[in-house]
Formats: sequence, C-alpha cells, structure tokens
Amino acid sequence: MSKKSQGISRRRFIHTGAGALGSFALAAPFIRTARAQAPTIKVGVITSLSGENIFGGNLTRRGYDFWAEMANQKGGVEVGGEMLKVEMFYGDDQSNPATGADAAERLIVQEEVDCLFGPYTSGSTIAVQPICQKYQVPMISGSAESPNVWKAKPEFNFGMIPAVDNSAGRSLGVLGDMSEPKAAKVAVIGVNEPFSKETGEGFQAGAEEAGLELVAYELVPATGDLTPTISKIAALKPDIVAVGGHEEVLINVVKTSKSLGFRPAALIMHYGVTNPAYAEALGADADGTTGISVWLPSVPYKDDLFGTAQEYNEASHNRWGSYPDYTEAACSASGLVLADALKRLGKKPANPADKAALKDAIAETDITTFYGPVKFEKEGDHYHDNIQPVPVLIQIQDGSVVAVGPKDAAAADLVYPLPAWN
Amino acid sequence: MKRWPSILLLVVILVALALLPQFVNAYWLRIATGALMWAGLACSWNIIGGYAGYIDFGHSAFFGIGAYATAILMGGSFGWPFAATVPVGLVAAALVAAVIGGPTLRLRGAYFAIATWAFAEMLLQLVNVLEITGGTGGLSLPPFLDENFFYFTMLAAVALTYGVTWLLFERSRFGYKVKALRDHEAAAESMGINTSLVKLQAFALSAVLAALFGSIFAYWVTFINPKSVLGGDITDQMVVMVLLGGLGSFWGPALGGVALFLINRLIWMNFGDTAFYIAILGAAIILVVLFLPEGIAGLFTRRGKPGNSLLRQSLARLVGRGGRA
Amino acid sequence: MDLLLQTLANGILIGGVVATFAIGFQLTFGVLHVIDFAVGAWVILGGYLAYFMSSLLGVDGFLALPVAFVLFGTLGYLIGPIIYRVRNSRTARPELMALALTFGLFTLLRGGMLTFWGFNTRSVDTALSGGSLMIGPVAVPMLRVVAFAFAMAAAAALFFMLYRTRYGLAIRATAENRETAGLMGVDVHRLSATVYGIYAGLTAMAGVLMGAIYSVNPEIGLRYTLFAFFIAVLAGLGSVGGAILAALFLGIIEAVVATYWGSAYSHLAIFATLYLVLLVAPKGILGRGL
Repeated sequence: MSKKSQGISRRRFIHTGAGALGSFALAAPFIRTARAQAPTIKVGVITSLSGENIFGGNLTRRGYDFWAEMANQKGGVEVGGEMLKVEMFYGDDQSNPATGADAAERLIVQEEVDCLFGPYTSGSTIAVQPICQKYQVPMISGSAESPNVWKAKPEFNFGMIPAVDNSAGRSLGVLGDMSEPKAAKVAVIGVNEPFSKETGEGFQAGAEEAGLELVAYELVPATGDLTPTISKIAALKPDIVAVGGHEEVLINVVKTSKSLGFRPAALIMHYGVTNPAYAEALGADADGTTGISVWLPSVPYKDDLFGTAQEYNEASHNRWGSYPDYTEAACSASGLVLADALKRLGKKPANPADKAALKDAIAETDITTFYGPVKFEKEGDHYHDNIQPVPVLIQIQDGSVVAVGPKDAAAADLVYPLPAWN
Repeated sequence: MKRWPSILLLVVILVALALLPQFVNAYWLRIATGALMWAGLACSWNIIGGYAGYIDFGHSAFFGIGAYATAILMGGSFGWPFAATVPVGLVAAALVAAVIGGPTLRLRGAYFAIATWAFAEMLLQLVNVLEITGGTGGLSLPPFLDENFFYFTMLAAVALTYGVTWLLFERSRFGYKVKALRDHEAAAESMGINTSLVKLQAFALSAVLAALFGSIFAYWVTFINPKSVLGGDITDQMVVMVLLGGLGSFWGPALGGVALFLINRLIWMNFGDTAFYIAILGAAIILVVLFLPEGIAGLFTRRGKPGNSLLRQSLARLVGRGGRA
Repeated sequence: MDLLLQTLANGILIGGVVATFAIGFQLTFGVLHVIDFAVGAWVILGGYLAYFMSSLLGVDGFLALPVAFVLFGTLGYLIGPIIYRVRNSRTARPELMALALTFGLFTLLRGGMLTFWGFNTRSVDTALSGGSLMIGPVAVPMLRVVAFAFAMAAAAALFFMLYRTRYGLAIRATAENRETAGLMGVDVHRLSATVYGIYAGLTAMAGVLMGAIYSVNPEIGLRYTLFAFFIAVLAGLGSVGGAILAALFLGIIEAVVATYWGSAYSHLAIFATLYLVLLVAPKGILGRGL
C-alpha cells in the first residue's frame, strides 16, 4: 500500500519541480535583457572559473575586471565623443574547450557583447576562435601564451603576451650568461600539458642556443609524484633546473627537491613564480627561484587610466589584496587596447560589419600602456600576438620579485649559485 | 488502442525537434545540439549499463576513439571529408570493443567497472604521449560553422540510436537475451543463451554508438584534446544521466540526458559568475538520488492514489525508520 | 646502483603515501559495500583544515591530525546513515545509486570549497617539512616516512579493532552478512555510521599529510579518488592488508618507470598494469574480504 502512496507523492513532487524548472527555463532568456537601459559597451569574459585551471582563470578575471571598474569610475570609455559605461559578462569554460565554445556563443548571441576578453588556457582560446570568426566579433586575449594559438593565424583574436617559444629560451640564455661560475649543464622538466610542454620545449631550444649541455628532458604527468623525476635529475648534477608548469606543480617541485636534499645552482621556472601566491605557499623556500616575466611594477611605462606601472601595482593590490603578476597586468591592458580601438572607431558596434571594423581598429593598435608598448604582429608565426614586451629575468629575494637580468633591466644582483637547503 | 497516445507523442516530439531551428537563436540551438548529444550518449551507455547490467566506467574511451578518428583524418596530413571519417571511427570503436570486451566482460560488478575505467585512463595516457594525436596539445579541425548542419546531424544520430535500441532491445529476441543475462547470467547460460557472445555484441554496439557522437562532437567543437574527449568526467556524466532518467528503461536516458544537461547549462548561465553553481549541481544530484531513486522514467510507470505527504516520506527516508516502500 | 636504491626507496614511499587514503576506503567498501566517490573530498578537507590551522592559528600542521579525525569523523558519522539508506534501498541498482549519491556529495563539497576558500594552491607547514634523512646514498624525505608510518599504524589499529575486539567482530559479521548480523543483535545502522565516520576521519588525516607533502586546492580531489579506486581493486575490494601491498606495488612501478623509461610514461604504465592484472586476477591480488 505504502508503495503506491509514495508514488503519487513523488509524482506531485516532480510536477511541482518540473513546473518550477520549466518557468525558470522560459524566464532565463529574459533575465539579462530586462536590465539593459542606457547603451553600454558590453564585454564578455571567457575564462576558467572552475576546473583544474581555476587559479589562472581567476587571475585573468581580476585583471579584466579591474580595468572595467577603473574605466567606469572615470565615466566609462569614450566612443564618438560620448562616455559609455562598460558592462561585463562572464562565461566559465570549466577548464574545458567545448564549454568555452558554448560560453562564446552565449556571450555573443545571447548577451550581444561587443568584444570578448579571452580565456586563460590556450586550449579554450583555440576552441573559441572559430566562433569569433563566425560572428565577426573581436577577442583580446590577455593570457594565452601558447604559440599554437597564433600559428593558426586567427583573424579575430589578439594576444597581449608574447608566446612562450619567444620568451622561455631567451631567458635561459640570459641566466646562463650571468651565472658565475659559468653554468654548464641544464635539466628541463616539463609538465605534460600544452602550455607547460611548450615552455619546456622553449627551454630545451634555449639551452642549445646558449651552448648549455642538456642532461635531461623529462615530461611529467600533471598529477604524478615528482620524487622519481627529481632523484633522477639530481643524480645527473645539473647546474640549472628549468621547469615548465603551473603554480601547483612549481610548488611541488620545490617541496620535493627540498625533501630530497637537492638544490641546483639555479632553478628557473616560467609562469606562476611572479605571482605572490607562489612565495606565500612556500615561504622562505621560494627565495632564490628565478623566473621570467614580461612585466614588472618597475617597468618605466605609464598611461592615462592606470598611471605608472607602480601605481597600477598599488591600486590593484588595494582592490584585490594581492599584488598583480604579468598576466593580470596584461589582462588589464587588454581593456586599454579595446578603449583605444573604440575611440578610433568612433561608434558603438551595432552590427557585424561594425564589429569587424572594431577588429580592424584593434589590429592597428600602436599604444603605450603601463604594461608597455602594444602592437600586434601582422604576419608570421606570431600573427596577431603582441611581441613588444621584453622578457625580464626575475628572482625571488626575501619574498619579493626583483629583476636580475638582463644587465640593463637589473634592479638587484643575481644570487648564484643558490645556497644548500638549511 | 493503448499505444496510440505514445506514438502520437513521438510524432509531436519529432516534428517539434525538426522545427526547432525556426524558433530559437544560434545559442539555444547550440544548447539543443548539446542536449541531443548527451541524450544519445546516455542511451549508448544504457545499452551496456542498463540492459546488459555491466557498469562501464570507461565509456569515454569510445567517445574519444570516434573523436580522434575524425580529428586525425580530417587534419592536415589526411584531409578527408567528414563523412568519410565517421565509418573509420565506428569500425575502430567496434574493433577495440571486440578485443577488450572478451577478457574484460569476464569480470563482474565493481571489478568490471574499474577495469573499464583503467582501460579508459590507459588510453588517455597513451593519447597524451603519442605524436599522431598531438599529445596533450590536442588537434584542431577545419572549422565548419553551420549550426543547422550540426543540429540536424545530431538529431539524425540520436534518432538512429533510439531507433536501433528500440528494435533490438524492446522488439527482438536479442533484447530478451540481453535482459536475461542481466537478471541471472547463469540461468541465461543454462537456457542455451551464448552469454559471452550476447554481451560482447551489446558492448560493441554501445561502443559504436558512443563513437558516432564522438565524431560529430569533434567536428562541431573544432578542437579536441585528450581531457575534453577522453576525460573520466564524460563517463561520469553519462552514468549520472542514465541513473537520473531511469536505468535500463527506454526513455530514461533521453529524459535524464536532456534534463541534466539543461539544468547544468541553466545554472551555469544564471549563476556562472562564481563556482557556486557546482555546489548547486551536487545538491541537485543528491536530491535526485534521495527522492527519485527510480529516475524520472519511474514516475510515469507508477499508478497510485494520494497518501503520505512528501515531507513525511522524505523525513522517514532520511531518518531510516518506517516509510520504506 | 645508488640510483636504483633511491628509486626503490622513492617507490616504497610513494606507496606509503597512497596507502594512507586507500586503507579507510577499503574499510567502507568491506563493510558498507559502497564505492565512495567522495574520498578525494575528504582528503582535501583534511588538507585545508591543516592549512587554516597553521596559517591562522600559527600552530604546527601535525596538530591538525587529531582535529581532522574528530571533526570529519563526526561529519562522516552524520552522513553515513544517508549513504547506508541509499545503499540498502529497494531500487534496481542500489550500489549504483550509492555511487551517484557520493558523486553528488563530492561535487557539492568541491563547489563549496571553490566558492568559499578560493582558488589558490595552499601548502601545509609542519616541523618536519623539507627535512630529509640520508641512509647511505639514499635521501629519504621525513614527511614521507611519517606518511608511511601513519599508513602502517592505521592498518595495525584497524586490524586490532577488527580481530581483537567485540566491536570488530560485529563489524566483520556485518561485512559478511548484514541481515544475519542484524538478527544477532548488531545495530547495523549505527555500526554503518561509525564505520563511515572512522573512514572519513582517517581519510581527512591522510589529507593533512597530503597537504604537507604536496599541496592542496579544491580541484585536486579527483586524482585521489582515482588512486583510491585503483588500489582498492588491485588489492581486492575490501582487503585492508592488500591495499598496502597494492599501493607499494604501484608506487614501485611508478618510480622505476619514471626513472628508467621516462616520467611521461609512468601513469601509462600504472594503468596498463592495473588493467592487465585485473584480467589475469579478476578478484585482485589477494582476493576479497576484510
């Protein structure tokens, strides 16, 4: 008996639930449109707010948001003599390219954004590019660093950061030059995922160019235990260990090396070292790590919105509670590129032709911002990538990031070789 | 006749689906395409998991095989047209299923589940280190951006999937054999059913259907990498969708697949500014398991009269005293 | 030769680390017959607890071990009965529904942690962090020795409880046959809650160690779930002793392959081994049972 009665109550439950869900589904398309009043410049941000790339995803979002907030404080962006507020829309790509494509289509079709700000990961960026092409909507990518993004010659996508093949190798060469006594042997660890692997390959090429002997090139699975890899490398006694990876792996590399009592004369990493979270997680153990940055608060650039690089640094710290790294800076500068292009275009893009014109305006960008000069390549392997910024060799000293090379950019001396652990 | 209403319903649904592109914009059509794909994938999983009773935790392997077959063959060095790559993916999936099915289907219960999962992980790791698959960097396909093409292709694939499933599992001796081995394998064997062959056939069929959706998915999204087509979360979703819809029922996977995909996307659209929607999704799954254990399809097969309030039922269920069906 | 010894030591210690969270997992499977998807979430919760205690209160990360056991043990004790209800409900496939329930729990916890604790990767500081012992030419990380000792102690404590106490007898009886145990006067319902509580507490303690050895963020849970599953199956579901052997076996494979073939192939080798072992020995290397 009770079985039957349970059936009907369940059914009633689902009917109510289905009704609620149904009205929710019907209402959903109208929720956003109801609030649009005065014309605004609509910008869609696609990035990883969940999934394995949340750390970088949230940094990019901070950078983009900070520009929007600063611009709106000053009344918005200038379009044809009028000031229009900036309105931000977000799409979480769930660290998954297919969801990134869904997000792009939603932001463009549903929210009718004028421009997109690109994802954190290169994978999502590659999946979003065809959608931009389809709707003729330009995208400015403040983060993607994989050379593969630009090799495909994306007509509607523009990159703020020089691709890693351009930056990783050069910096290893600078480190080799500056080392005293001279470094001879290099071991490279690359996490087997797109960005980190390309960084590893950049290091590998850089070692050859600089005449350093490559004693090991190890690709490691993103979730693997690092003790075997580090032990193996320690046995080869390299002077420099170069690591391509994201923040979590970088932290684990240092912890594992220390727990095995292994300290090379220099440890160089790429992305993530310049972020305060890295030094925070490792404390004093982070000291001595060298890394690469295409931007530092000490660079001598400025613009009208953010002021000097140093002022940007402080303002961003006040807003988010931590100092920005180069990805955040590049994302904020993406907004400056958009504002500049809109000003030159002189109108809010109303149709696909206008948006394509906005793309053309962005392609002609030639400005200087707190982040540095921005100008996009017009051909070659770095098509539409901004390769103006010069990578600086940095080192963590007493918990803060300082420039140590090349010589003309150095603010402090390189600590080399690193002292043994404790 | 009792069956007329359901046939009428089917016709109405098909007509509505065929006319949908006239009424919605490209974004909603994209969502509809995704919902169709998951309805189809859930159905493919239901064949081995629901009808045959073998819980496959590595079904993403076959989805990935289809996707990679299309991506590799359409890519630079081959340059095949899409239509030519699909059969290759299907045959590859069938071959792999036939090869691993023999030894793997000897395992039962959780051991089968985790063996298939291990196989899928192994395949993922292999794709990570191979050259031809582009490693972890993934593969790009030549973009083809006609949303109507993908909607109707997906619709045709789903219709095919459900048509085949209907004929084989609801209207043929094969279906009875498969269900017999699910309910009691030894008894089925003693009745003269060649259970090894029958379950291998069911496994291969479900693999081939998953590969079909993998092929279309790769062409549709234009970029794949190992995680996006071979990741364990793809299988997890199929399993949860089938459970939500109703395990082993014909319409369950379609209901579960569409419902879960739409709920996910709606929550993502409206609350996607933060990661909190993931928590909401988790809570939704828990609620379904607690209050709808037979799946959505279970609601339509019950007949009953008013009785205990839902609240009392729920409380009893949670506290664990009385109130059991 | 030195490298070979170091590799074997690395492998054994990786095994010890993995065993810390595989043991409790075996207990829940053995008694509740539930494959718990949420195992990774318990690991992360323990890691975060240790991080918050050491960063906010400034105490040593190891102090989080007993707190984690009590806190998450209690939480597990409260959640356990719900899982038990679903596992023993009269649906077509209750074991699958239980799996789906724990998948939902995992997703809920993961989403909650992402929302409230943010996205930074955190590291747990302890008195032994970074320390290493030199045994001849072999460097042995102190924290991993602690993890290994923890795994052994947890296994020994479980064995003692299961085979030397009356409560253990009740647990084994329940694992053997739920209905009979119930008829014999065992409060099966309450016992299930306790077992799930012990498991959640132990796993969260393992999480404290994971946070110290590696690092913790809300998205790393799935890898622990994956390894717990695989160790469990390789061992034979429900076998606590087998879990330790299987963990050591996989650890040594990972270390040897990474050192002598290439790190990129270590996971490929692990999953291939696991798959092949299952085909040859369908019930795991030690067979099933507590």
